[in-house]
Amino acid sequence: MNHATEHAIQVHRIFKQYGRITAVNDVSFEVGQGEFVSLLGPSGCGKTTTLRMIAGFIMPSGGTIRVNGRDVTHLPPEKREVGFVFQNYALWPHMTVAENVAFGLKLRKHGKDFIRNKVEEALSVTGLSGYEDRLPRQLSGGQQQRVALARALALEPQLLLMDEPLSNLDRALRIAMRRELKQLQSRLNMTTLYVTHDQEEALSMSDRVVVMNGGEVARVARPFEIYEDPQSEFVADFVGTTNFLDGEVLRTQGGQAVVQVGNSPLQLVVDSEMPPAQGAPMRILLRPERVHVSRDRPEGANVFAATVSFIEYFGPTIRYTVEVEGKRLQAEVHNVDRPLAISSPVWVRIDPGHFRLIDRKGA
Amino acid sequence: MRSKAAAVLLAPSFMLLLAFVILPLLWVARVSFNTTVDGAYMVSALTLENYTRFLGSPWYLVNTLWFSIRIAVLSTVISVALAYPMALYIARTSGAQKSILMTMVLSPLLIGLVTLVYGWIVIFRGGGLLNSLMIALRVYDEPVRYMWDLKGVVILLVYIGMPYIVLSLLDSIERINPSLVEAARNVGASPWTAFWKITFPLTMPGLHAGLIIVFSLNFAAFAVPLMVGANDTQMIGLVIYREALLNNDLPFASSLSVIMVAANALILTGMGFVFGRLILNRLEATR
Repeated sequence: MNHATEHAIQVHRIFKQYGRITAVNDVSFEVGQGEFVSLLGPSGCGKTTTLRMIAGFIMPSGGTIRVNGRDVTHLPPEKREVGFVFQNYALWPHMTVAENVAFGLKLRKHGKDFIRNKVEEALSVTGLSGYEDRLPRQLSGGQQQRVALARALALEPQLLLMDEPLSNLDRALRIAMRRELKQLQSRLNMTTLYVTHDQEEALSMSDRVVVMNGGEVARVARPFEIYEDPQSEFVADFVGTTNFLDGEVLRTQGGQAVVQVGNSPLQLVVDSEMPPAQGAPMRILLRPERVHVSRDRPEGANVFAATVSFIEYFGPTIRYTVEVEGKRLQAEVHNVDRPLAISSPVWVRIDPGHFRLIDRKGA
Repeated sequence: MRSKAAAVLLAPSFMLLLAFVILPLLWVARVSFNTTVDGAYMVSALTLENYTRFLGSPWYLVNTLWFSIRIAVLSTVISVALAYPMALYIARTSGAQKSILMTMVLSPLLIGLVTLVYGWIVIFRGGGLLNSLMIALRVYDEPVRYMWDLKGVVILLVYIGMPYIVLSLLDSIERINPSLVEAARNVGASPWTAFWKITFPLTMPGLHAGLIIVFSLNFAAFAVPLMVGANDTQMIGLVIYREALLNNDLPFASSLSVIMVAANALILTGMGFVFGRLILNRLEATR
């Protein structure tokens, strides 16, 4: 198979060492043509370093980076032909909006008319027509963000790298820009690698997400796979909220296992495609919205009596912390029924198919 | 009540400026219209003869005013040419290396001028270290006259002016977000192009500030031409000193002072206008 034509970006086993500190440790992933991939992780996880190595601002200590099949590992940034949008926008303060956008085109020795058309086009795509002669300092944060995007798009790059481009905007604008960015990306079919620490951004915009932790890739998967089946404690904890329960497999029957939760009389019936061995230590992951809470006793498996011990009111949803047989569970419900009160007795039901199991070898 | 507090805090410095800068300058301006009479210190009058004596004399205009401007421009330009790369280099260093470099750059300001000049004389005089070295290296055969010559004046003015330029440039360079240069590289600029199109224009505020200080110091230089200049080094500051303290002609010295301040103000205003048109007007509100 020829990788050269298949992947827009191919990162192969790259490392970055600063003295004895390893910022990026053996990271590999690919981005397909027209794909939107996010690098998601907490601060210091190496996601920005990885992105900057692809742009050529940092040289990797080892490994190779290919852009559209071309090995760019040792090329300076100006030879890479990739667009980059900075977190702080990095607009040149002494140039007008039009001059900022035209700068790269002028370096390519295009004609005046060509440049004017390209600038006009890039500004109209980003909704900035009429702002040509403004200076960056005369623009709002959202407008500066658009100029930064227009500057990158004007060169029609083969791929776009974005380093937390929305994190300096306030929440409402961030969500609006998120949608706009995603729609623009789909329309232009622009291959995009997007760094963020915001899981909502990563889940809602991406075709695939690369979750990073401690300089390493923790998981590469589509957004719903990341959320529904985190496969590791880190991913489960970093993306969304998770109830963790440790236990041992008591017995297996058909496609189900009965797990005895440690230090508690609680026994859970858990769906499991490949039934684990009896007595195997297990860690159970359970998303709060998969815990059903009701006043009346429901029918089915995994029904337990519980008490509400804490309430967090979010508006559209309410998160109850409930005590079940000495264990605390978080349950998130839509704000449609009459709210429960603290200490009120309730019933909890969990569908056996809604648990995820991780091996807990030696834990 | 913020303005009241500000007024209280500003009062001492305002009084100091008033007592030691504004009032003496006004006094100098007034004295410049007085006359001198043989045997008398000076006589109160309202005459323009001190001004016409200078401005009406081609010799004074060429050998003092124009000469001072030329020396000031020359030594300022050389200072900038030497200081700019130095500031760029220091901006990239950190920690102990930076402290050592900064101390070296600032040393001319830390040592007293007299100590400095006598140190330089040891190096630059006829049989001094520089000439001995140059002759030993066969760069030239005869000792070159540096001290008590224009060369020495320019060398020393450059040396004393450099720290101010380095300091003000360094401030500007360190304010530039590195991502501005990265953004230029990203859209296709070589390191050289990125420097000239991004870094250099953004250091103009610092360069302007440094030029104001150093040009003014060089234009009005007095101690350096006095100590290492030749007899024909008629820099305006030195001429004022001679007229005031050696010839006891305070009115003439005062008129020269007024002309010096006015010429300096005119040059700095012109420079400010050019810098403003070139770039500073665009950057103004961000600083």
